[in-house]
Amino acid sequence: MRLDDYIELEVNERAERRRLVEEKSYEIVDHLSAFETRFEETVQNGDLFGSVSPSIFVGRSNYPNVSTGLLSPVGNERDAARFETSAEWYREGVSIEDVFERRTSLLNSTQRSPVETSVHDAWDGFLGVQREVAIADRPVQVEIGLNEPPEIDFDVTPEDVATPTGPRATARDAAVTENPHVPRAIKKTLEDDDWAAQGAMTYLYNRGFDVYDINTILSAGALGQGENRRLVPTRWSITAVDDTVGQFLRGRIWDAPSIDTVEVHRNEHLGNAFWIVLAPGQWEFELVELKAPGSIWNPDPAAGMWLAADAEGKEGRTSYVEETAGAYYASRLGVLEYLESIGRQAKVLIVRHVSDDYWGPVGVWQVREAVRNAFDGEHGEAETFGDAIRGVVEHVPVSMAQLRRKSTMVSGLQTQLADF
Amino acid sequence: MFKAIVSASTLRDALDSVSVLVDECKIRLNEEDLSIRAVDPANVGMVDLTLDAAAFESYEADGGVIGVNLGRLEDIAGMANSGDLVHLELDEETRKLHIEMEGLSYTLALIDPDSIRQEPDIPELDLPASIVVEGAQLDRGIKAADMVSDHIALRVDEAEEAFYIEAQGDTDDVDLKLERDDLIDLTAGPANSLFSLDYLKDMNKAIPKDTEVTIDLGEEFPVKLHYEFAEGLGHVTYMLAPRIQSD
Repeated sequence: MRLDDYIELEVNERAERRRLVEEKSYEIVDHLSAFETRFEETVQNGDLFGSVSPSIFVGRSNYPNVSTGLLSPVGNERDAARFETSAEWYREGVSIEDVFERRTSLLNSTQRSPVETSVHDAWDGFLGVQREVAIADRPVQVEIGLNEPPEIDFDVTPEDVATPTGPRATARDAAVTENPHVPRAIKKTLEDDDWAAQGAMTYLYNRGFDVYDINTILSAGALGQGENRRLVPTRWSITAVDDTVGQFLRGRIWDAPSIDTVEVHRNEHLGNAFWIVLAPGQWEFELVELKAPGSIWNPDPAAGMWLAADAEGKEGRTSYVEETAGAYYASRLGVLEYLESIGRQAKVLIVRHVSDDYWGPVGVWQVREAVRNAFDGEHGEAETFGDAIRGVVEHVPVSMAQLRRKSTMVSGLQTQLADF
Repeated sequence: MFKAIVSASTLRDALDSVSVLVDECKIRLNEEDLSIRAVDPANVGMVDLTLDAAAFESYEADGGVIGVNLGRLEDIAGMANSGDLVHLELDEETRKLHIEMEGLSYTLALIDPDSIRQEPDIPELDLPASIVVEGAQLDRGIKAADMVSDHIALRVDEAEEAFYIEAQGDTDDVDLKLERDDLIDLTAGPANSLFSLDYLKDMNKAIPKDTEVTIDLGEEFPVKLHYEFAEGLGHVTYMLAPRIQSD
């Protein structure tokens, strides 16, 4: 699926891609009008409609006065669950096109609330409904009253952390029309308002909840210490959960023995190739991103490869990453899950090559799932970390010299005093 | 038994040099001096400090060991003006440290020394090059390097008899060349190693700008930085493991 299939592009017009994505100037528009038709068929008696809601969305524009919304696949209620971003999308093999189609099919019914609103005991009103949807483990039946017909729109952000959102409308009110099913562990974190958010998040993770579930609960302000419970914009909560769970897993492998050989794992997903080099030694991590000319962040075809990198040592970072944003925490989580599962630590360098096939930002789940799934099947081995890097460089459009300048780990691996 | 009086500035200089690496440490209250040795949790950077009894206004100790939370102790020391005298006394029974200054008294709960990470052995290193520079020169090189990169190379050119501080970033390079005349002393030898700026910046923070720093350096070997404070009665040695480029 390429933009070129839809619009005839001269080579020198390819630079327009990014603008086209931002301005929704192509087939997204078709999905949006399909939604409009479906919506009109479903919502017949004025502005009140019944649907199911698999998930919620908290926007970050106008923070701290955020828009908080219920997502519902109007007219597609029967398979509502597949509209919710999850690891299942990877297994299903969705395309960029599929993601945009699903998201344009989800109506975001919103109200504005200041984040300081006490959500600690919000069981009533719109926020109460939102919370019930967030904590339930399956789509919840709801009835939503709208103030206005939906604004047919589509929101993608170049940061590429949250999954894009589709049409939205201001909600007058909402009600839950069933008794939603809430898993016991989630009830426990919800009820214990003395439990710091980080601990509650790792508890849920250890109880088998994936980061997608936890991020929805955090976003609704349904865990953490009572006075700290806030609405958290979806984009921030995604990174917060990846970071928190990642720190927990990093702690689990703190004293673990090192892997024995240099391994190279590879995976490719939605126009993104991931090269994961694991080398013996104590934990160290770096994500290097190569963004091809013509891909969404680097629209100028003559610009050359755009490089970004962030790294951490044994003790982690003390500041938020500067260049690689949510992809850093999502990819780190994927590799830490693998290391924790084999009870080993390693020095890890991930090279992400974003080709110009990645024409629309689908959200950082794409990075997380690609890395998580990179460890099944065969992998390459190398004598040294240097050999492994030289091997990777043969397959990516960047020179060893460029990579050495950009990458902390390629410049040199951190040794320990005890090595001397 | 431990009872001592020390100037607030000397106490702060001593604590700062350790707290850039660790949050808590063991303090050895020897008869002749007070000493601290600690390594950071990643085993990358180490500090070895001694403060001679003569650096104190008065000093009595008999070889005990206490464990302290450095942040807490620094906060207390921060309450004094630099000329103020700080009185320290260990209560053996309650295992608390009484601290008094200008009418303010503070009782600090101590940490069981056995619960603190073991003090490291100092690696025996034969480092061929030695450079003596002013703290301010080193500071200038580190600050410039930090503008372009997160790692820094320290190198001696034997033929030129010069010491280089170099950094390579994505696009920009920094290069500080100090020749024999710019240095206080130089023993040239084969030396070229790469270090993490995160660590070196922290160590640099604690090094007084007007002091002489001796840098012992080798080829892809740890660096040793020595300096003195408290009018030569306090001695600090930092050791930092290098980053090594894989073949």
